[in-house]
Amino acid sequence: MLFDLDKKINEAIDDAASKSLWLYHINAGSCNGCDIEIVAALTPRYDAERLGCKLTGSPRQADIVLVSGPVTLQSRDRLIRTLAQVPEPYCLVTVGSCPCSGNVFKGSYAVCGPVDKYRHVDVSVAGCTPKPEAIMAGIAQAAAILKEKRKGMHE
Amino acid sequence: MENFPILAIMTLFMGAFINSLVGRRSHKARVAVVFTTMAISLLLVVSMVPAVMFRGEIITYWMGGWAPEAGWAYGIGLEVDALSLFFGLIVTIAVMVSGTYSFTYMKRDDSQVNFYTLFLMLAGSVLGLVLSGDLFNIFVMVEIMTFTAVALTAFRNDTEGALEGAFKYLVVGSLGSVSILTGTILIYGCLHTLNLAQIADLAIHTRNPVMVVAFGFLFVGFCTKAFMFPFQPLAADAHAVAPASISMMISGVLTKCGVYGMIRLVYVLFQNIGQTHVQYLVTGMGCLTMFICVTMAFNQHNFKRLLAFHSISQVGYVITAIGLGTAVGLGAGLYHAINHTLFKGLLFLVAGAVQHQTGTLDLDELGGLSKKMPKTTLLFLIGAASISGIPPFNGFASKWMIYQSIFSKAVNTGNIFFLLVCIVALLTSVLTLASFVKVAQSVFFGQCAVLCRDAEECEKGMRIPMWVLAILCVVLGLFPDQFGELFLKPAAGAAMGADVYAAAMLSGKAVTSMPAIYGYIGTWSPIVWIVLLLIVTAGMTIFSVSAPIRKPEALGEGEVEDEHVLPENAKYEPFFSGEESVHSHVTGSDLFWGFKENWKKYFSFWHDWHSGIVNDYELYGVVFLAAALIYCILFI
Amino acid sequence: MIGFIQSVLNILLLPGLAFTLIASILLAGIDRVLVARMQRRVGPPVLQPLYDVLKCLGKETIVPRKANEKVFLLAPAVGLISVLVTAMFLPIGNVSAIRTNADMIVILYLLTLASVTLIVGSAASGSPFAGVGLSREMVAMISYELPLVMVMLTVGFVCGNGLATFSLAKIGAYQAANGPLLLNPVLWPAAIALLFVIPCEVGQQPFDIDEAETEICEGVLAEYSGKPLAQFKMMHNVKMYVMSGLFCALFLNIQTGFFLADILIYCVSCVLVTFVSMSVPHAVTARFRVEQVFKFYWTVVTGCAALSLILVWIGL
Repeated sequence: MLFDLDKKINEAIDDAASKSLWLYHINAGSCNGCDIEIVAALTPRYDAERLGCKLTGSPRQADIVLVSGPVTLQSRDRLIRTLAQVPEPYCLVTVGSCPCSGNVFKGSYAVCGPVDKYRHVDVSVAGCTPKPEAIMAGIAQAAAILKEKRKGMHE
Repeated sequence: MENFPILAIMTLFMGAFINSLVGRRSHKARVAVVFTTMAISLLLVVSMVPAVMFRGEIITYWMGGWAPEAGWAYGIGLEVDALSLFFGLIVTIAVMVSGTYSFTYMKRDDSQVNFYTLFLMLAGSVLGLVLSGDLFNIFVMVEIMTFTAVALTAFRNDTEGALEGAFKYLVVGSLGSVSILTGTILIYGCLHTLNLAQIADLAIHTRNPVMVVAFGFLFVGFCTKAFMFPFQPLAADAHAVAPASISMMISGVLTKCGVYGMIRLVYVLFQNIGQTHVQYLVTGMGCLTMFICVTMAFNQHNFKRLLAFHSISQVGYVITAIGLGTAVGLGAGLYHAINHTLFKGLLFLVAGAVQHQTGTLDLDELGGLSKKMPKTTLLFLIGAASISGIPPFNGFASKWMIYQSIFSKAVNTGNIFFLLVCIVALLTSVLTLASFVKVAQSVFFGQCAVLCRDAEECEKGMRIPMWVLAILCVVLGLFPDQFGELFLKPAAGAAMGADVYAAAMLSGKAVTSMPAIYGYIGTWSPIVWIVLLLIVTAGMTIFSVSAPIRKPEALGEGEVEDEHVLPENAKYEPFFSGEESVHSHVTGSDLFWGFKENWKKYFSFWHDWHSGIVNDYELYGVVFLAAALIYCILFI
Repeated sequence: MIGFIQSVLNILLLPGLAFTLIASILLAGIDRVLVARMQRRVGPPVLQPLYDVLKCLGKETIVPRKANEKVFLLAPAVGLISVLVTAMFLPIGNVSAIRTNADMIVILYLLTLASVTLIVGSAASGSPFAGVGLSREMVAMISYELPLVMVMLTVGFVCGNGLATFSLAKIGAYQAANGPLLLNPVLWPAAIALLFVIPCEVGQQPFDIDEAETEICEGVLAEYSGKPLAQFKMMHNVKMYVMSGLFCALFLNIQTGFFLADILIYCVSCVLVTFVSMSVPHAVTARFRVEQVFKFYWTVVTGCAALSLILVWIGL
């Protein structure tokens, strides 16, 4: 095409993939500790909007899905279903120790975690609860991964 | 040429007669007779167009050769000027479309021969009404029209409410007939003539209380025939139960008779539209009608009842524009009149198709038809966009003309009443849009309802008439200038030139003058279309460079509802906050909560007002008659 | 020929397409930065809306199983086109891409069309969240349409010299002769009403009842992803520019005679309008409920507009 226009547009789109991060948050049976920290990361004090972050209400618009909680029996199907509805490319970021190990809930009959039993996890933010700074760092890492994923899509 | 009007009318009546003789044999015979009749009548009317519309001639015909003697008209005359012919065109086109639609639509009913006989009589009487040059003849035609319409409303008398609707129409409609008859008698007593031209000639010189009362009676009579404000419950009850093609006739043709009568009354017979109080009366009634009916439509659960209220609301627009007494207003009213017949007819036929395919008209039970009946959905969207006044469809052009005429009237007279009317008109347009959004969401979009699962696209015989109306909607919207120049200008000119009308009838041929009604539309310059084209191209480029759309593969086209889908395969299921998707459809009564909540008292008042008791409706009619008469005596 | 080339350039470049796209992206970005600064944070880069739109273009488009695919995909495109065409009517100084004798009614209708595409698109998506969202969007539309119409009538009446005008060119000419209409104290209530109409028409924070992400999962946009979402987001940005530009055309049309100076003044006043009407309410108030929006617009805002209309009518 003229001046490789499509290539340039594609490059711009790849670039934008790491600059515009819309977050969708799933609570998979969390104790609410991590949820509060996620909200804290979005407040003016930490200002996640610097990175282009925005909270959305629908998984259809999500780029980064934040999952907190040890994946309880009740929430398992809902988690899997919602993750299936997120359009590609997206990053799965787990927040806190519960989604990556089960934390203190491990071994319970009602816990079906960890999350990577069901889906590939891109970034794990550890801590009980992780600090907002840590969550921000996780989101920044996810942004870099998103760009790679987007590049991988048009090959 | 002068035989054409009577031939056009008689063909329809003869067709009704022949149909009742031979129509019993087979469906084919019926179709042949009815179609030929309608086509001949349409051709006769169309063939009068060049002479009457373009050359401004007026065709007169005296029944039995009883020409006027010494300036007095004794015989029954037909007089076709551009105004009559304009309405004649509306009537014949609507009859043609509605009749053709009925061939397929009524297939499942029995005793169809009666249906077509009544249908043709209805068509003939309406055509007779608009082409007639005699006041008593108009009354006779109104009577035939009312009785055939009542019979046709009750045609499917096994459906619930059919007889009730017809009975209400009969009882309250007779109030209108009586009013017209009384007005006619009073005029005859005063002027000793029934000929429209002669009345027009004499009435401006005769200003006495009897004539004023006669005006009041005729006004109320035509209000009833147009289902204006206190009479709108009749239309709702009748439309809801009548077959769709008859609903189209009632809304597209019968109400137009009321409009036609109103124009003849205030512009030609009494020529008193120049008086401010007549303008208040006509415009005020129109404005009241359009606002009350559009808010009533908000609360309806029945598809056709909703359409019925909208139909009356749009007629309110027409009457409002007519009541302005300006050439632009009259042109706008006439334009909206024909547009109303087209888009309202289209919507009623769509409702008929939906009823035909699903068996119900309840907005709360329908849903998701757009996947089962995509073509009907497209037709509905065209009709809905037209009635809501979305460019480039015809409703936009005519409503726009109406706003302009009202606003320029307000500015020219400095009268705040017309400014209020203008605001109400614009508001009504938004509310119209809102209720069509409601229909679109509850019937065609959203999730597929239980009743609609086995629905199929309607047959071609029903779709073709709908397409004709839809194409006319688009054409009239795209070429408002040309249409105005060719049709509206002569028709408005004919209505404004009452002296020419009188002279043509009594002393030979005369040519109508044509006022300049245009200069308002003319906004859709070709450059707009170039721009649109460029932008569409740019949009397509953006489309082509980004990733292709992925379609659901494994799950088919979503024909099966409420089936268990494994969480892993839920990609193409609607988002339900993670829950398994179930049938959930936001339908008619769930919509617009914020609006309804604030207007609770208003809505409950009108809810109680529409009691459904025929005595009440008759009472409203009588009160309205009394009020109109008092107003006329006091102010006119 | 030169006239034709000039008008095509006007449509494609300066007051037209290219300018609209750039201006709307920048305006939306500036709005976000302004809100961020008012909340004492750094905020996103100014080009953030562009990144958002580009990113959405690069994502997968999912058409839900229960959606009507054609309408679902067509609606955003029609909506975007209709707001872009609306922008063509806005004059910079005395230059506009398309000029008719009834610009305001066309603008009114095209803006309505944009909202209708949002409604129809969401209706076609088959999601109950979208159903609730479209109901709210429609109520919002009924709310702001009445004051908007009254403001337009008022301005048209003032500028028409006895005969009302709906032409933005005539309104511009009137303002060139008599100074911007904002200097006329009789029109201040109308200007305030229009400032309130802008955020609701655009769907900006305190009035974004139709896509409330915390209550109804983005409402009308619940099922949209990828390209159609990008088109809707772009439509939102362009609408923002169109509404600020409309305010400038109606109340703040300052003509210096130098086109470059006109452009500069126009841009600055657009940003000012955006700041006053959208950024400040966004930063200081929480979201309204739907019936509160309706009540607010039909009492306070309509009252303001009616006050101006009556004052103008009795000849002040």
